[in-house]
Amino acid sequence: MSILTARGIVKRFGGVVALNGAELALTAGRVVGLLGANGSGKSTLSAILAGEIAPDGGELLFDGKPVAHRSPRAARARGIVIAHQHPSLAPDLPVWENLFLGAELRGRLGLIDRRASRAVADDALARLAPGFDVERLAGDLSSAEQQLVEIARAMLRKPRVLILDEPTASLARAEVDRLFAEIRRLTQAGTATIFISHRLAEVAAICDDVAVLRNGQTVGTWSVGTALDHARVLSLMTGDAGIAARDRPARDIGGVVIEADGIAVATGRNGATFSLRRGEIVGLAGLQGQGQEEILETLAGWRRIGAGRLRIDGAEVAPRRPRDMIRRGVCLVPGDRHRQGLFIAQTVEENLDYPAAGFRRRPWLLPFAAIRRETLATIARLAIKTSGPQQPVGTLSGGNQQKVVIGKWLPMAIKVLLLSDPAKGVDVHAKGEIFAAVESLAAAGAGVLLYASDIQELLGRCDRILVIYDGAVVGAFAGESVTEYEVLAASFGRAA
Amino acid sequence: MRAIRRAGLLPSLGMLIAVFAINAWLQPDLLTGGSLSSNIATFAPTILVSAAQAIIVLSGELDLSVGTGVSMLNCALATLPELAGWGIWPSAAATLGIALAAGTTNGVLVAYLRLPSLIVTFATSAIWFGVALIFRPQPGGSVSESASDFYAGSLGGVPIALILVLLAIGAWSALQRYPLGRQILAVGSNPIAAFHAGVDVRWVKLRGYCIAWCLVYLSSLAISAQTLSGDARLGLPYTLTSIAAVVIGGISLAGGRGSVWGAAFGAITLGLIANVIYFAGIPSIYQEFFKGVVICVALSFTFIVGRRRTA
Repeated sequence: MSILTARGIVKRFGGVVALNGAELALTAGRVVGLLGANGSGKSTLSAILAGEIAPDGGELLFDGKPVAHRSPRAARARGIVIAHQHPSLAPDLPVWENLFLGAELRGRLGLIDRRASRAVADDALARLAPGFDVERLAGDLSSAEQQLVEIARAMLRKPRVLILDEPTASLARAEVDRLFAEIRRLTQAGTATIFISHRLAEVAAICDDVAVLRNGQTVGTWSVGTALDHARVLSLMTGDAGIAARDRPARDIGGVVIEADGIAVATGRNGATFSLRRGEIVGLAGLQGQGQEEILETLAGWRRIGAGRLRIDGAEVAPRRPRDMIRRGVCLVPGDRHRQGLFIAQTVEENLDYPAAGFRRRPWLLPFAAIRRETLATIARLAIKTSGPQQPVGTLSGGNQQKVVIGKWLPMAIKVLLLSDPAKGVDVHAKGEIFAAVESLAAAGAGVLLYASDIQELLGRCDRILVIYDGAVVGAFAGESVTEYEVLAASFGRAA
Repeated sequence: MRAIRRAGLLPSLGMLIAVFAINAWLQPDLLTGGSLSSNIATFAPTILVSAAQAIIVLSGELDLSVGTGVSMLNCALATLPELAGWGIWPSAAATLGIALAAGTTNGVLVAYLRLPSLIVTFATSAIWFGVALIFRPQPGGSVSESASDFYAGSLGGVPIALILVLLAIGAWSALQRYPLGRQILAVGSNPIAAFHAGVDVRWVKLRGYCIAWCLVYLSSLAISAQTLSGDARLGLPYTLTSIAAVVIGGISLAGGRGSVWGAAFGAITLGLIANVIYFAGIPSIYQEFFKGVVICVALSFTFIVGRRRTA
């Protein structure tokens, strides 16, 4: 018996069609894996099911009867709850209050029952992460901890339909295992679950059925059975029959452009020593949080150099602000594109022009015709999928947003391009396009320093791979011959 | 202690104690009961209107109309007895009705029509001022002297003004034990998260405005009991003073962070600063100048200390 069915759902944002006839059926006691490339409409469909946005067409059937949620509150009253990909918490309230926000436990005289709330919150989080302190303010938590709170809150609301939008993106392995145990517990009690993830191994482990979305349409649904057919998923997601081996464009490696001699964010810390040549792509690998991002931020002038020396084209530099390095052609594509890379409410054209605008000979003028030419050239060169220069950048898919972040540096005569995990949370297809753009910039003579949390993204793309551990370079491999095993072994600080 | 630190009250409390010490040094009779109770009677209207502003700021909005609101309510109190021939109690009740109507108007405009509170309450502040002028084109009218005697009096040795302030802010603290109180903070902290969590953001904000305007009403009662007449210009300085008190009290203008007690500390600090300037024997033409300088110093103190703590 189907609890919630979506039929022919259509949703447009401005001129962009996000959903165009999406179908989904949820059954009590089963987990559906909702798959699709970024921008295929997974999050939009989830938000419609949870009553956060209203569809433009199609219908929702709840227990066989058509319904229209008027608000998230109305959907929740029907037992439909969602845990967002980007946690939606009140930062100034403690964790336990966030868990019960809008559904407070009331005691005597209608007072909030703090003791019971804390106890229930403690218990709910302990199932996902033992020892979690529910008194901490939500704003003080790491992104993984916020994700756990978001999930725990959804699970607490005794859902009949539970929507988990990329719940595992920032979780550690052990937390994922505990999350799966909780999903199974709810499933046995009759909850229908939607599980969204880019990790196919997780989908295979937890899902009973899968549904694949492409361009806002459901292009395939089937039961997983004993094994998930990866090839079928990927070909449905991309629309390609097979994924061709990439041609690696030949690149000329030129002279040394950056020499880092023991640079560190503070004295007394390990420093990193390496060099980068023109036209070279060097990968930074290693466990997460070993200082790769700090190295990039130091080179970009976001942080002062605490110790060590940095030379660019042989001249020592001590940047005090990003502008000092942008002037020298050192450009950073930061890790958090929403907060650090883009003005999310502004148009594609405005975003592409910001760096150039500050460096024109006459910066008080905005030469509209020239800016439009530059914008159209960048859109064409990086194959940015947009309805035009005036489209708000926030309405692009994640991969295309990232291309805008890269594209805004094109007018600056890039000498060194620094990238901090540019393909995080982006689908396979967009990933390929982002790296193709990076490779074409390298072929044009830029030195590229690329940090990626996923080693697979570095293998086969980099001329060299440097493994970072606690701020220092602990391993260096030539890109052609290196294996994932070698990089992983070096990452853990042990010889292969 | 954890609650005090979390609410960001330490810097404002430290500031308050420092200014109080300076005041006590310049004015040796400050610590006598009579002096303290006349001070609290003078500060009470500012404290109450600052607490009102704090509630609205915590919900993520602003109200530039509390000052002229005090004027309007004061003029209503001083005029209704002669206009309608009512006694003090019916007049006070009718004035409460006006206060709730004003709060509801602001709340509907801000929460339901989603107009920016900065501009829309600037507009309603002109409306309240206009209403005050209709009641009282010239300062005058009268409030029963019994109000003055009551306000200046005490109950079991505790000044009435102090009881009024403690009751008002205590009621807000009690509300923090109810969903509405916490939801006001949640809405100011992150309205989208609150909406996603199923909180009716508009309804919460509207009720926040109404609660705040109850405090504006109490403030107008306190000031009317002191002036015993109506004056449409009486409340004008309160708007900016209340915002200054909120900021000195460690409440984030972005909403969601801080405590109404902080606003009370901020309001008392501002009042004591005026005392200090007076008792330091500064010639009257320089007093405003030095008041501004001292407030700048106070602000830098609270903010630099506050920054250390969060860093």
